[in-house]
Amino acid sequence: MVACLLCCVVDNRKVSLPLDLGVCVLGIYSLCATGGRSSMADDKDVLRDVWFGRIPTCFTLNQDEVTEREAEPYYLLLPRVSYLTLVTDKVKKHFLKVMKAEDVEEMWFEYEGTPLKWHYPIGVLFDLHASNTVLPWSITVHFKNFPDRDLLHCPSNSVIEAHFMSSIKEADALKHKSQVVNDMQKKDHKQLWMGLQNDKFDQFWAMNRKLMEYPTEEGGFRYIPFRIYQAMSDRPFIQKLFRPISPEGNAHTLGNLLKEMYPTAIPNDGEPKRYQVVIHGIEPLLETPLQWLSEHLSHPDNFLHICVIPTPTD
Amino acid sequence: MSLCVLEEETFRHCCRLILQQSEQLRDGWSWESVQGSQEGYLRKTALRSAVINSSPVGDQVESSSESGPQTSCQSWPDLQQHKKEQSVLVASAGADSIQGDIDDEDDDADEGVCTVSEGSSQVLQYEYHILYSCSYSTPVLYFRAFTLEGRSLSLQEVWSSVHSNFSFRLQNSPLNTITQQNRGVHEACAAGGSGP
Repeated sequence: MVACLLCCVVDNRKVSLPLDLGVCVLGIYSLCATGGRSSMADDKDVLRDVWFGRIPTCFTLNQDEVTEREAEPYYLLLPRVSYLTLVTDKVKKHFLKVMKAEDVEEMWFEYEGTPLKWHYPIGVLFDLHASNTVLPWSITVHFKNFPDRDLLHCPSNSVIEAHFMSSIKEADALKHKSQVVNDMQKKDHKQLWMGLQNDKFDQFWAMNRKLMEYPTEEGGFRYIPFRIYQAMSDRPFIQKLFRPISPEGNAHTLGNLLKEMYPTAIPNDGEPKRYQVVIHGIEPLLETPLQWLSEHLSHPDNFLHICVIPTPTD
Repeated sequence: MSLCVLEEETFRHCCRLILQQSEQLRDGWSWESVQGSQEGYLRKTALRSAVINSSPVGDQVESSSESGPQTSCQSWPDLQQHKKEQSVLVASAGADSIQGDIDDEDDDADEGVCTVSEGSSQVLQYEYHILYSCSYSTPVLYFRAFTLEGRSLSLQEVWSSVHSNFSFRLQNSPLNTITQQNRGVHEACAAGGSGP
């Protein structure tokens, strides 16, 4: 099966997303900048575009695996917002066809020598490691020598669910002191997970919208759940407390957040831009309000995952 | 939910007190600071003997899709016989049972609990980190357990080594009792990413 490649070009860079999302975000931002309010319809479009973002991927079996015959590569469109171990059953089945059971241990993935952490959203892995490379994304599949030091084991979907739900809970602890998530019933939590697992946008958002509400008088969440990833760093990510609204009542922007948390990402006046700040494969304007980003560009785990990668020099 | 909130400065103050006590008791706790800042965490390593079950866990049947409650059978190692009895009590208590805990996520009662063969007693190395989570404003305990040869224990093996006093909670919501995370030592706040 060869997937058709979704190659869109924005600013001469190939992005792995429908053109819509970049245009939507930029369009909405410019509405905000001129003082007008973005329409509800545009906002919902952004939610959909984020949810349905896909990355065309080619899975190739590691050469050192023992096979009974040659293994063909397997092509798949990966959802940006999901997790590798949740969406690669077909990959496993495909390669198991050419392998003996005794040569098969826990499956794991690697890109250019880097083991891929399944507990990071797929889109984050791509943006961090492969965003400025030619599509499809080439991932190598392994069934032996699981790298214990780099990767968590993933023996079942329950582990993915637990990880996902724990992110949601932590995000709500930051946004609402856990009040909203604790007021939900167990079946509501299950609905969030099932929505993600079964790729059901409406089912997921019917519940997730509650996690995106806030008292009008507050102007936003208590703190913004975010993580900033840097490609070349021994430090896994930056996560700290940060309010969406300043004490004077001004909306903090993406630029404000970066200046506070990772100032190197933003060039000083006159300096060339050395880094790209990427969310869901696009570079939102630094003036975009953080509260808006949190409500619309968060992953289903309710975190805003931000990748800071070196600007390509070619 | 607990209304107890711990400020980070108070956490550090308490850590200093713990360290003083630990020194007197020669208990082995130390403070690791994060790269030239005030932030850091408590650390301790210890050798412990524990009974763990290293036999391969039975087939993990994937949870079924949206239709109904899980009916997969997951093998939770069973240390003592009386646990079976406990499971029965839980089932009959039904939805009214109050756990009184922050994480109130019970797995579906339909999950079967299978007994697995007894484990063996081994000497294990534990490394404990206590750090401050600014997301929850509480301390968080992380630990790593590995054999003397340096092999990390799997999540199932860690669950199997837990004292029977906690078996009730562990059986009902294992992933909310002890779970696995990646955390980087250099994170100033909340969980990070590299190394198990």
